[in-house]
Amino acid sequence: MEKKLAMVIDSFACIDCKACQAACKEANKIPVGKWRNWIKSPDVEAAARKGGRMLFQPGNCMQCEKPTCVEACPTGATYKDASDGTVKINRELCIGCGQCLPACPYGARYRHPELRVADKCDFCAERRAAGLEPACVSTCPNKARVFGDLNDSRSDVRQLLKKGNFVQVVNKESNTDPHIYYLGDPGVKDWPVKAQMPSAFAFWKNMAGPAMKAFVGLSAVGVGAMLVKQFIMPNDAPEDKDKGGDEHE
Amino acid sequence: MMRPKIKIKEGMNMSNRMIKRHDQGAILIHWFNAICWFFLLATGLGLIENPALQPLGQWWPNLMKDIFGGGAILLKAHWIVGIVWAGVWLLFLLVGIVRYTLPFLKQIMTYTIPRDIQWMVKKNMQMTMGYKMMAKLVKPFGWDGKIPDQGFYNAGQKAAAAGMISGAVVIVITGVIMLISKVYLNPDQTPLVQWSITIHYIAAAVTFGILLIHIYMAAISREERPAFISMFTGEVPEEYARHHHKLWYEKVES
Repeated sequence: MEKKLAMVIDSFACIDCKACQAACKEANKIPVGKWRNWIKSPDVEAAARKGGRMLFQPGNCMQCEKPTCVEACPTGATYKDASDGTVKINRELCIGCGQCLPACPYGARYRHPELRVADKCDFCAERRAAGLEPACVSTCPNKARVFGDLNDSRSDVRQLLKKGNFVQVVNKESNTDPHIYYLGDPGVKDWPVKAQMPSAFAFWKNMAGPAMKAFVGLSAVGVGAMLVKQFIMPNDAPEDKDKGGDEHE
Repeated sequence: MMRPKIKIKEGMNMSNRMIKRHDQGAILIHWFNAICWFFLLATGLGLIENPALQPLGQWWPNLMKDIFGGGAILLKAHWIVGIVWAGVWLLFLLVGIVRYTLPFLKQIMTYTIPRDIQWMVKKNMQMTMGYKMMAKLVKPFGWDGKIPDQGFYNAGQKAAAAGMISGAVVIVITGVIMLISKVYLNPDQTPLVQWSITIHYIAAAVTFGILLIHIYMAAISREERPAFISMFTGEVPEEYARHHHKLWYEKVES
């Protein structure tokens, strides 16, 4: 049966220790200065107003149901894998154009400095193939991160979501239906960043695409008209004038 | 270049005499270009997986990826043939600069404006409506029903050549930018790659639009059939040359 892999993150259990980030870097050999996962920095001012309680929001690629990064990829190098619901990158097909980077509202993607292709969290595909949980999940000392299959009714994630007291952190204008669900209070719930389609992509989609279809279509119609004329109309060329070679000799 | 002038009997045996129009180098590069172009067009369209951008529908990228065994190989095939296509062309244009490149550029860039405009208008009307209708329609503008004489290339061929050459230059430049994206370019240079993808598509589409007309004229239309055959044999019948490229014919025969 098809899987739908997801994470349930208990914000109250997170202590901002960054162990998940370190484990991810180690497990996936993430280049210096880049991260596949994060714990969003707490807003101290807001925390102070709420009585001093710090709120943490651990995250990574949310393997969205409606991934805007996939929408921005021209070649299909970034795609949603139907077998496990994760968003994958075919590095061989990716040409490193970077259009998917701003298309992710969560900033989950970066361009790999050496490979020069898009890179992001894949729920530790290598570790899962070896029967392990994602590195960030295994390493979390407070078990704030829980990983599993939403299509499996006995999975931990399904059990945790049963009560319905979870939130998805989404931008209202570009709701991608992310597969990270937060228990407790993740702080910011209305995600402030909207998915951005790069201007070159938008220009192709909205202007160049229809214009080129019209241009090639017009050309085809013109050629078609000539073809029809060739078949239904007799050749009425005034050939006789030239044939004798009188005036052109 | 000088050839003996042959006396031709009126109306008789004229079509038997052939005039050299293309040499073997020109014929070879033409068919090399044609084969590469169709391969690159098919594979290039196959690489547009995004449904918002794909002009033919998803069946095309699916078909291409099935034939090639996946997007990665499809992309590599597009790259390799693209590099070979551009490389062979570059070599041809450099080695043949005196024999082919400069004479060709001179031919396609020499416009005789009033004559060529009149040709464009009349020829298009004649091709779609016939001679009689064309003659009737242009009469109010003070033009007769005669299609103006043309040189080695007619005005349509010159315009098509200019369009297709510009298209090819843009395709090669944007293609190279996309190719080096994964090798040299940094994240702050990716907007260049993004616009290259879009412009690559536009240039290919414009060229293809022109190509449709080129293919119709050469391979399908009745009138230009001898020109199509000459792309294999190198020769056109004298009557065709005189009728369709009179200024060139007169130059060759003088």
